[in-house]
Amino acid sequence: MSFQEIFLQQLFNGLLLGSFYGLVALGYSMVYGIIKLLNFAHADIYMVGGFISLAILKFFGGTFLGNAWLGIVTAMILTMIIVGLLGVAIQRVAYRPMFNAPRLSILITALGVSMILYNAVMVITGGEYRAYKTGLGYGGFNMGSVYVTHTQAILIVASMALMLVLHLFITRTMYGKAMRGIALDHDTCRLMGINVNKIIALTFFTGSALAAAAGMMAGVYYGSLHFFMGFVIGIKAFTAAVIGGIGIIPGAMLGGILLGLLESFGTQIPFIGSQWKDVFSFSILILILIFKPTGLLGKKESERM
Amino acid sequence: MTEKLEACETQPVVRKKTPLQGLSDTVYGIFENKRVRFSFIVLILVLTLLLPQMSSRYTQEVLTNAWFYIVVCLGLNIIVGFAGLLSLGYAAFFAVGAYTTGILSSHYGINFWATLPFSALAAIIAGIVIGGPTLRLRSDYLAIVTLGFGEITRLVVRNLRITGGASGLIGIERPVLFGVTLYQIQHFYYMFFVLAVLAIFVSYRLYDSRLGRAWQYIREDEDAAEAMGINVVSVRLYAFIIGSVFAAIAGSVMAAKMTAISPETFAFMQSIMILLAVVLGGMGKIPGVILGALVMVLFPELSREIGPYRMLIFGVLLLFLMIYRPQGLWPDHRT
Amino acid sequence: MIKKSWVLVIVILLLSVALVACGSKPPATQPPVTPAPGTEGPAFDGELLIGIMVPTTGSEATYGKDMENAINLAVEEINAKGGLLGKKVVTTTGDDGCDPQMASAAASKLVSSDVVAVVGGYCSGATLPTLKIYADAKIPMVVPAANSTKIAEENQGWAFQVNSPGYHQAEKATQWFATLGHTKVALVHQGDGFSEDLANLTKANWEDKGNQVVAYEVVNKGEQDYSALVTKIKSSGAEVVYWTAYHADGALLIMQLRQGGYTGDIVVGDGSSSDQLLEIAGQAGEGVYCTSPPIVDFLPAASSFIQNYTAKWKQSPGPYSGLSYDSANLLFSAIEKANSVDGDAIRAILVDTKDFPTLSGNITFTPELTLVNSNFIMLKGENGKWVLAE
Repeated sequence: MSFQEIFLQQLFNGLLLGSFYGLVALGYSMVYGIIKLLNFAHADIYMVGGFISLAILKFFGGTFLGNAWLGIVTAMILTMIIVGLLGVAIQRVAYRPMFNAPRLSILITALGVSMILYNAVMVITGGEYRAYKTGLGYGGFNMGSVYVTHTQAILIVASMALMLVLHLFITRTMYGKAMRGIALDHDTCRLMGINVNKIIALTFFTGSALAAAAGMMAGVYYGSLHFFMGFVIGIKAFTAAVIGGIGIIPGAMLGGILLGLLESFGTQIPFIGSQWKDVFSFSILILILIFKPTGLLGKKESERM
Repeated sequence: MTEKLEACETQPVVRKKTPLQGLSDTVYGIFENKRVRFSFIVLILVLTLLLPQMSSRYTQEVLTNAWFYIVVCLGLNIIVGFAGLLSLGYAAFFAVGAYTTGILSSHYGINFWATLPFSALAAIIAGIVIGGPTLRLRSDYLAIVTLGFGEITRLVVRNLRITGGASGLIGIERPVLFGVTLYQIQHFYYMFFVLAVLAIFVSYRLYDSRLGRAWQYIREDEDAAEAMGINVVSVRLYAFIIGSVFAAIAGSVMAAKMTAISPETFAFMQSIMILLAVVLGGMGKIPGVILGALVMVLFPELSREIGPYRMLIFGVLLLFLMIYRPQGLWPDHRT
Repeated sequence: MIKKSWVLVIVILLLSVALVACGSKPPATQPPVTPAPGTEGPAFDGELLIGIMVPTTGSEATYGKDMENAINLAVEEINAKGGLLGKKVVTTTGDDGCDPQMASAAASKLVSSDVVAVVGGYCSGATLPTLKIYADAKIPMVVPAANSTKIAEENQGWAFQVNSPGYHQAEKATQWFATLGHTKVALVHQGDGFSEDLANLTKANWEDKGNQVVAYEVVNKGEQDYSALVTKIKSSGAEVVYWTAYHADGALLIMQLRQGGYTGDIVVGDGSSSDQLLEIAGQAGEGVYCTSPPIVDFLPAASSFIQNYTAKWKQSPGPYSGLSYDSANLLFSAIEKANSVDGDAIRAILVDTKDFPTLSGNITFTPELTLVNSNFIMLKGENGKWVLAE
């Protein structure tokens, strides 16, 4: 492989990985933006999304109206709705009673939710890996020197589309406006007649649905599921959200892609290589925060604990 | 409009006095009495000192673990509870201590006791390196920076040759005290117990000190504290350094007890569990933190029978505790 | 509100007191295994307690259960023959959770229960800190699975490793690379003690033979995306990739190597010798080689063991079931020969073990208390099943 080929291939790898990070990071960022909560359970929502989509696919026998792709699309929509509702339920049961509690306590509640989700899935699956069979194969096409499988192409397109839809939703609709308003000031929004609880629930729905989509895409692409699969991507997506500026939607996407690229190029660096890859990306994170403390797209604001 | 306004207002929580609360009032009343409280503490002390003579090795092992977590939780409490800084990478400091002792002892054959000052020194340096540039950050950003440092520390000790790579270090020497090599669980039981008592003592002294009040001030209102002439960054840095020294010393003794350490012991989950214990018990409140540490160690041991369900149940309990007692089991009155 | 905390405090204190009370009594973990009523065989003169230390919770629980089942099968068989020294053999299990701290607690628990000897040790990292605990208590330990070289280094003379040590596996692997006609190897491990150890041993062995390790890589546990690594391996010109860690992530790597257009050979280590690897990897798993511990399916001597095991536990034996069964039988024979439950006497017999016949070949120990002869075999994935490659 020539230098250029390697470069292009790693660029592609980084974009693909980055779009996964971005999708999960969006959920962290939205929830943080609106209620200032680091939602630890978000990574487990991603994992639950993977498992639920597998259950749905199995239920339909992997196809819908006899078509594998249609089956996957249907399963994805159903998964997003179910897991979105799960997110709303979690918000209702665990977080809403705590909106006036110390912030660290909500953090620990989120940790409790995370423990419940992943231990429940562990007990149900017996802690074993589940194969995720879709029969999509390795067929694909060449883009320059980079070989792109159909699955990869669809994944990138789907995640970009989801991000775009979300962006339009937040910038162009009334609900999006309400979300942005609540992020700025809860009380004023209340006085303006916005049903704050409903909008917060909507935020959880959207964030969880996106994570579920990412979880399903991970299952389809990587071919296996495990109750612990959310852990690493959770840390990474959280990092991505912070790099971009937590609470800022385009920031999450930017942070995700940037982190994906850092990791794929970090792997390739001679003499440093894969074992130092994460050290490399976390160091960049720290450097970014030291020099731009609110993340790449963040704005300055003062805070009180 | 009025309807909506009403729905939006935060309603004050009014709870009726239950029989259970009546009971707890009585118990609380009893403990208000200084003499009762004193004799209670003495009783617990005597019991813990005598325990190894009358209990199994297993009980001692579990309690040794409990003393250990009391020390690290009190250390994290200084950072999180006293100074109000959210740290998600506390295991890194604990790794610094364990590896300092490990490397000095297994590579250079240095006596265990002689490694302790180095371990504290390494922790101070680590605290300054991590805290120095980052303590100006907003708390959530600080959280992610500490998480990043925690992961970096774990990966660095995993990748370097001097730290034994992923397999970690083995053959860490046992400490010798008054000519006796400490190797039995009983020895470490007492060693960690002494350490825990020391940590409690230091924590109380800090809580009542000038520094302790400065931390509280900053936690409550950073801007006002700064206006009053408190150097916010340096006072926070002190919290970071002292907290990391606690963890490092505990880590050193842990290394001597295990004689083998590996990077996985210092993973993100370890940091999270320590934080969980601190918040669960009641941030800033020393007896609360001790209680949190005990719950965290004893609950999984007590529920060994239920096997895979235990962490699930722990999660559910945690959720309910936090919803009904968001300030922790035993909160601090000063906040 | 605040006062309510006292109730909780008192409850917790009571709970801890309860723990202390339980702890001072003999084992409270799992009840000793007793045969079902009606199958009561000969009359026994008391009981003889054997400890089992395996992970029964956590990510490695499946393997731990396989081992525990096999050991209990051996116990049932010996009791049917009249037990040991006229006593009935009973077992108690300590869960090491594949974690050093939990393992220390589990080992202490077994020692407190006054076990005569221990069979167990799956994860090397978790087994290491327990060596000293058993040695201090003069309790011999037969280790069926854990085989990191560090165990031999740290051994206090009380642990007997029945699985071939890592360098036997490294040797097996490099012989196979040579058989396949390759000179450029890429090694990938997972950043844990076990897989790093095997990768290092293989690297040293391969380079000693004058060959080249063109890539030495690590993936982090729990990561799913290896595409960047695949690109790097491809660009390094490796002819064979050796994965030294566990099966689930191994399957991910295999799939992504094939998806990324890597066409060379793939070999996986003993942590991956599971049918699940082939199940998850699907088409990509065809033609993958595996340096495997002696799995009972491929041992002619083990057919009756497989039958009995399947009949009793309603599932087929796992990769370490055979070795666990062998370990238990080795221990029983030593206790019989020593004609005593004294740790020193049993240990002396175990040290002198010579050509003890087991399912997986004859056992003779080196002075380091590891096996003299390698018992690794080479498998190949064909139609979703492992078959012998030689």
